[in-house]
Amino acid sequence: MSNEVTAVRVALVGKGGSGKSAIAGILARALAQQGARVLAVDSDPMPGLSLSLGLGLVDAPIPDDAVEEKAEGEPGPRFRLRTGLSALDAVDRYAVDAPDGVRFLQFGKLRGHSASLMRSQLAFRQILDDLPPQSWSVVGDLPGGTRQPFYGWARYADTVLVVTEPTAKGLLSGRRLARLALGDARPGRLAAIVNKVTDPGDAEWVRARTGLDVLAAVPLDEAVGDAERHGAAVMDEAPDSQAVAVVTSLAHRLTEDRVGAGIGS
Amino acid sequence: MKLAVVGKGGSGKTTTAAVVARTLARHGTSVVALDCDSNPNLGISLGVGDDETERLIAMRQALDEGEQEHAPGWDDLLDRFGTDAPDGVRLAVVTAIQNPEPGCP
Amino acid sequence: MLSSVNFTHDTVIADLEAGLGTLTRLGNAQVDVVLLVVEATTKSLEVAARGADLAREKSLGRLIVIANRVRDEVDADAVRKAFPDDEVIAVPHDPAIVEADRHGVAALDAAPDAPAVRAISAMARNLLVMAGHNGSGAASV
Repeated sequence: MSNEVTAVRVALVGKGGSGKSAIAGILARALAQQGARVLAVDSDPMPGLSLSLGLGLVDAPIPDDAVEEKAEGEPGPRFRLRTGLSALDAVDRYAVDAPDGVRFLQFGKLRGHSASLMRSQLAFRQILDDLPPQSWSVVGDLPGGTRQPFYGWARYADTVLVVTEPTAKGLLSGRRLARLALGDARPGRLAAIVNKVTDPGDAEWVRARTGLDVLAAVPLDEAVGDAERHGAAVMDEAPDSQAVAVVTSLAHRLTEDRVGAGIGS
Repeated sequence: MKLAVVGKGGSGKTTTAAVVARTLARHGTSVVALDCDSNPNLGISLGVGDDETERLIAMRQALDEGEQEHAPGWDDLLDRFGTDAPDGVRLAVVTAIQNPEPGCP
Repeated sequence: MLSSVNFTHDTVIADLEAGLGTLTRLGNAQVDVVLLVVEATTKSLEVAARGADLAREKSLGRLIVIANRVRDEVDADAVRKAFPDDEVIAVPHDPAIVEADRHGVAALDAAPDAPAVRAISAMARNLLVMAGHNGSGAASV
């Protein structure tokens, strides 16, 4: 029952190109390697997390027939999982197996019709809301930029991580994201991951300019760039890279903090 | 001439737009640069600094509000809500980050 | 909105929303040139391929693909292969741009002679020539 006290629910946001998906991919697999049962979810309409997990391009959104319109007088949003289909059933059926035992669930893709996207989106959120929080860790890759991530995408998360590059545009985006996250998701914890670090002062720079605690500083790592070029997982292409080492210790820390906070006990 | 610059976030889209805008301006054309990104950063790449970039009032808000009364002209909006960038480029931010449906169309 | 903008200026350049949001919502907007910026990564190429399809479907304007942060011929070829029928301009990976980005200054000010800046500027000057602009300002870049 060790999973009961170690489940962590993380959502990653960041400017496009900040490396959010690459970090989410490593984090999900590191948590799984450490024994957690992990659902990795991609709510970004751009291709991303499936590649960073090592699955290649996957187009396997929740199908339309898994979703139905709520009955007359029934509370809640307009669409929900069809009667008899629980969140766990939906994960069983529609999540894809990724390496290290991670399960991967994808929100509908960009070329879907908007009606179909709405059905898929509401079902996707319901799955995250209903999934037993003590037994499933969730790593979510949220849409890039500052507009789409919030509108309820991150409400399942106990920790929202703002992936920030140590550049002027990165810091400006990080400040905006920090402000918007507090207004929308109100996570238990909001912190920054500094990515593509080239200077020892970068973490402090990001902390000072965004007002966020820095949970990890991931060095600029050629191995990540190479994996992105190949559309592969850093965990597979360069398991001994610095990026993997830093994100793996982040996974440990997130788990320990959950235990330390006594959540789930 | 109208140009649109598109690409994945982080692809270098904004840097490219800024270099193109200023190069065209240096060659004697008058240039308006519109930042239509929902996370507007074009000011930084044009060289107006991050404080000014953060301060720029979104023209989109003015457009939405203006429609109720008499719609101001484009040049008028640019005067009121734009800022001067180097080489004579006039910059305006078109989206509001908290507007649910931003964008340039 | 792009169709209706009407400034007294000669040129309007719109830096659209990252990703394809604006492109998918565009109705019958027309521009003269669409600059599609792409890196030689699987994700960026995938997004750009969808973007190019949308631009063509909507007859948005002349498409120019900017292969950005090209490190070597392998990168350049990856982009050319993905856009065999389009004009592709290669812009090299350039530490000067990385440095300008870090400090939030314009690349054109910090490193006017950097290879990436020169490549983009050259492309911009070609646009002027093709638009028939006489270059009366005559400032050199």
